[in-house]
Amino acid sequence: MDQASQSAPSAISAVSSEEEQHESYFQLVWKRFKKSKPAIIGGLMIIALAILAIFSDFFSPTDPRELNMPSSFTPPQRIHFVDAEGKFHLRPFTYKQVIELEPQTYRPLWSEDTSRRYHLKFFVRSWEYKLLGIFSTRWHLFGVEEGGTVCLLGTDKFGRDLWGRACRAGRISLSMSLFGTFISVAVGSVLGVVSGYYGGRIDAVLQRFIEFVNSFPQLPLWMTLAAIIPPTWDSFRIFLIMSVIFALLSWTVLAREVRGKVMAFRETDFILAAKEMGASDLRIIFRHLYPNALSHIIVVLTLTIPQIILAEAFLSFLGIGIQEPLVSWGFLMKNAQNLQTLGSHPWIMSPVIFIIIAVLGFNFVGDGLRDAADPYSIV
Amino acid sequence: MGCGMRLIPILSCKKAGVKEKYKMDANDNIILEVKHLKQYFPIHKGLLQKVVGYVKAVDGVSFFIRENEVLGLVGESGCGKTTTGRAILRLYDPTAGEIWFRRRNGERVEISRISQKEMKPLRREMRMIFQDPFSSLNPRLTVKDIIGEPLVIHGVARGKEMEDRVAELMRAVGLDPAYMRRYPHEFSGGQRQRIGLARTLSLSPRLIIADEPVSALDVSVQAQVLNLLQELQGRLGLTLLFIAHDLSVVEHVSDRIAVMYVGKIVEMAETEEVLRHPLHPYTEALISAVPPADPDIRLNRIVLEGEVASPVHPPAGCIFHPRCRYAKDACSKEEPKLAEVEPDHYVSCHLAAELSLQGIGG
Repeated sequence: MDQASQSAPSAISAVSSEEEQHESYFQLVWKRFKKSKPAIIGGLMIIALAILAIFSDFFSPTDPRELNMPSSFTPPQRIHFVDAEGKFHLRPFTYKQVIELEPQTYRPLWSEDTSRRYHLKFFVRSWEYKLLGIFSTRWHLFGVEEGGTVCLLGTDKFGRDLWGRACRAGRISLSMSLFGTFISVAVGSVLGVVSGYYGGRIDAVLQRFIEFVNSFPQLPLWMTLAAIIPPTWDSFRIFLIMSVIFALLSWTVLAREVRGKVMAFRETDFILAAKEMGASDLRIIFRHLYPNALSHIIVVLTLTIPQIILAEAFLSFLGIGIQEPLVSWGFLMKNAQNLQTLGSHPWIMSPVIFIIIAVLGFNFVGDGLRDAADPYSIV
Repeated sequence: MGCGMRLIPILSCKKAGVKEKYKMDANDNIILEVKHLKQYFPIHKGLLQKVVGYVKAVDGVSFFIRENEVLGLVGESGCGKTTTGRAILRLYDPTAGEIWFRRRNGERVEISRISQKEMKPLRREMRMIFQDPFSSLNPRLTVKDIIGEPLVIHGVARGKEMEDRVAELMRAVGLDPAYMRRYPHEFSGGQRQRIGLARTLSLSPRLIIADEPVSALDVSVQAQVLNLLQELQGRLGLTLLFIAHDLSVVEHVSDRIAVMYVGKIVEMAETEEVLRHPLHPYTEALISAVPPADPDIRLNRIVLEGEVASPVHPPAGCIFHPRCRYAKDACSKEEPKLAEVEPDHYVSCHLAAELSLQGIGG
């Protein structure tokens, strides 16, 4: 012991001289993630969408579920600072939207009635809702004076504010993609680890199965699966089963990725060391393989979410996805299938903006994570 | 430290006491005996993964280690040293042969074919030190969890108790227990190897298979780790199978040396005996390649001709005969057996009795 204690201090003095702060894995990842500008922007985009979705009632000046047939297909209303006479107003306002029918075609023509201004107000009390489903409140972020309307993205066929509907649709679109991804990751990572760790026949069988799933034409399969959902089911069950459908077709990518990673790790000394000390397979998988494959799982996860958002939007657009009273971004655009409707009311495509922001946001974050997830790459 | 810092000198001072002890009761003190161990790896080819051949990584290795002894296993890269060590610890399933291990209670068990479950209690007594201190530590675990993992797996200690034991182990290998919550990447190579050593010692093993424990380290750090290993071996009464490709490292720590060439042991004897009086031509060539401490000494290196034999298609007869400068007809026909030519000096060479080979200072 004497010899060891004498020779030891020289070896560790470099570290022991001062108690420097040591960083955990996730601190290191965060440090590198922060340096990527697109990733931060992507993250903010997602957070913004999530806040809009969670507090959608707070952000919508009118009840997005209330039918209002007279104002069907109102175009987006402009927020003015300068009135018709060219006078500048510090407080933004809207004009009343009035409808006229074109004499020959009976096409509705919307115009602004500049005789009456409705000032925009912040933190107003109007229609009642339940914040987070618990607290009953009437507060809203913005609104206009009594009698006026503010429809930032116009209205749909039933006169409902598209802005409020799109915010609300984010709840389903985001939560379904998260839930579907969660199932996909659970299935994919377990099968990937098993396939990579045990190898041999198990691996061969699983890989052929993955190839089989991948060779299935996705669209007809989705349509079939979506079509066999009984229409009598309540919306929550439909939500669950739709998530599972999306998950079932997206887990293969993750399973392959994780398998490759695990196969690389399987040959490393620390797995051998774990075997040498008598660790069980379960312990090796969950204590040694999983944590090391986690960075890759997270990256694939962030890239799976936008895929499911797109797939869901696609199915709902075709009318075989989500059904009323649930709404998703794709569902909102269902009316845009009709070219004539789309031609005369192009604003009903506006939920596309939300989809684009969500997909871009998750992709940015995924790219940033991919670079940040391996903080030891320099070592 | 005494002779500790001298790495290169060929004949360093030895622990005379230990040597005397094992000489007295030489035969009944064997802790590990390996008999005709074979480890073949199949070569798969084609879509159907048909087995087209075998890599005979270990092809009939026999040796034994006495309690409290350090046996150095030397040979060039790819000769099967590491595979031998791993097969003994049942990280592979040996193709053939026997591995006899004597347990703490004196019971002798044959472990080459037992299940992993039956092997588990034995893993407390026989452990391994890995070569690469970078890849052998899980980067996602703290030092505490790495060193304490064997304790948890074998149900020896948990929580606070485990932490205390880890602190004790860290002190024993010359690390400050204050750093047990750090991750491996925060340590240098030498420190990482100390962490690996602490992990190996955590279950108080009796036999340690050290697989090139210093070859991945800087030379300056090598000496520190070697000395620590030697010191712990003496103090804890460990038995060591010290695997290395560097004869100058092996002779520094070993009581006896076994020389390996393409999956076979060609010579085994006491360190001094092997170095001064080698009986196998391959050992002679190996010794001649060790650089002497004095740069003025002219080197009489024997340069072996040809390539190392392929473990897939080993030559007939003596595996060394294509490169042996003393080879005769018989060498290419009949395979020599490892035999005790002189007391405690084993060699597998047809010409062992005839040749007079060059050792150190001879």
